[in-house]
Amino acid sequence: MRIAMRPALALGVALAAALAGAAEPAHVHEHEHATPAPAPLPGGSLYQLGVALDAAGGSSLALDSLRGGPVVVTMFYSSCTTVCPMLTLAMQHIAAGLEPAERERVRFLMVSLDAARDTPARLAEFAAEHHLPQPPFLVAHAAAADVRTLAAALGIRYRQLPDGSFSHSSLITLLDRDGVATARTQVLAAEDPGFVASVRAQLR
Amino acid sequence: MRAGPSLALCALLAVHGGAAAAAERAPVPGGEFTPVVAPGKDVKRVAVAAFALDRRPVTNAEFLAFVRERPAWRKGAAPALLADGQYLRHWAGPAELGAGAGPEQPVTHVSWFAARAYCAAAGGRLPTWYEWEYVAAADETRADARQDPAFRERILAWYALPSGRPLPPVGKTPANVYGVQDLHGVIWEWVEDFGGLMVSGDSRTQGDPDKLQFCGAGALSAEIRDDYPILMRIALLSSLEANFTTANLGFRCAYGAPP
Repeated sequence: MRIAMRPALALGVALAAALAGAAEPAHVHEHEHATPAPAPLPGGSLYQLGVALDAAGGSSLALDSLRGGPVVVTMFYSSCTTVCPMLTLAMQHIAAGLEPAERERVRFLMVSLDAARDTPARLAEFAAEHHLPQPPFLVAHAAAADVRTLAAALGIRYRQLPDGSFSHSSLITLLDRDGVATARTQVLAAEDPGFVASVRAQLR
Repeated sequence: MRAGPSLALCALLAVHGGAAAAAERAPVPGGEFTPVVAPGKDVKRVAVAAFALDRRPVTNAEFLAFVRERPAWRKGAAPALLADGQYLRHWAGPAELGAGAGPEQPVTHVSWFAARAYCAAAGGRLPTWYEWEYVAAADETRADARQDPAFRERILAWYALPSGRPLPPVGKTPANVYGVQDLHGVIWEWVEDFGGLMVSGDSRTQGDPDKLQFCGAGALSAEIRDDYPILMRIALLSSLEANFTTANLGFRCAYGAPP
């Protein structure tokens, strides 16, 4: 267990790591002697969580590396046959509701709840099957503890059932450029123009 | 981070959460039990692997030692995402208990994130709901006393007490068969998977109101519908968000590989 010892040093990042109480993101060390600290994150920012992602295909990134542009985020799992296909479709509807130039400035993040089975390789297959080009989509695995952390921060409730499937709330959240949740939707069966407008507002 | 101070603090943490505290942890042998809420369709039993659990809830004094080592978790420093505005509100200051927070009282007004960070610093984790329920099914002599009306009555008597009374110090209730105290009758406790319990009153009477909101089996139905103490606890936990803090909600830590 390490402690954030030097407040002057990359405060936001170190603070996030200390607060998360779990594994520190690798870039804490990479940037330790590097350039000035980024502006402090707002108190509601999810980029304080220190969550690490493994993108479909295999590359790793810190959740807070998405800072700077709007992120539409949801949690799902690839073997889900009931609501998740609709959740995927809803993400695609939101993306399709934007102009191409707008779309490329947004990340559509889908993090799997199934840390054990949804490997980055499996998620790459899923992204291909469902026509989710990366970018702007980012289909990602996270370690079990990080799944729990992210779901809690997003207010997504889930539970693994004895047959290996998950019961989970289907929620899509818009994060602003600093990672603060600014809009949510549970509209799956139809398009949600209000949510698309919220995404667009973040691009202004 | 530089080696010197990090090592020194690691040593501090080891004392705080390591050998000195080990005697305060009760070993819990693995086993199988029937949770009040069935885990799934046609599945009634749950296996719990051996683990260890704090004998008592974490106290104000213990949490104070933690925030002294981890200033980011002090009252007024933790961001809104991780702890709401009531976080440690009964403490006199960021690193001071004061008259409203006795050192031996269980710490409350702590969020799930804060509880989890404390347990991680102590080399542990929060217990899962099934671990908690498994241990809480025991009385002084039996691993599962839940069918005994007297056991249930004793727990219900606590619920009948008016809220707002000062919390008792930890360690004053009888130790159960595992040597664990205060599971009933003192506070509510965070568990790692508090957000997944998802039983709703609707599951008794209605079809499936959550069909769209929940993927998979949706709202679960209660297996033992007259176990009010446990159902109340599940209802309370299900209503929480991870940054919530309340006057009666604390935690204890578990140790061992997460299930």
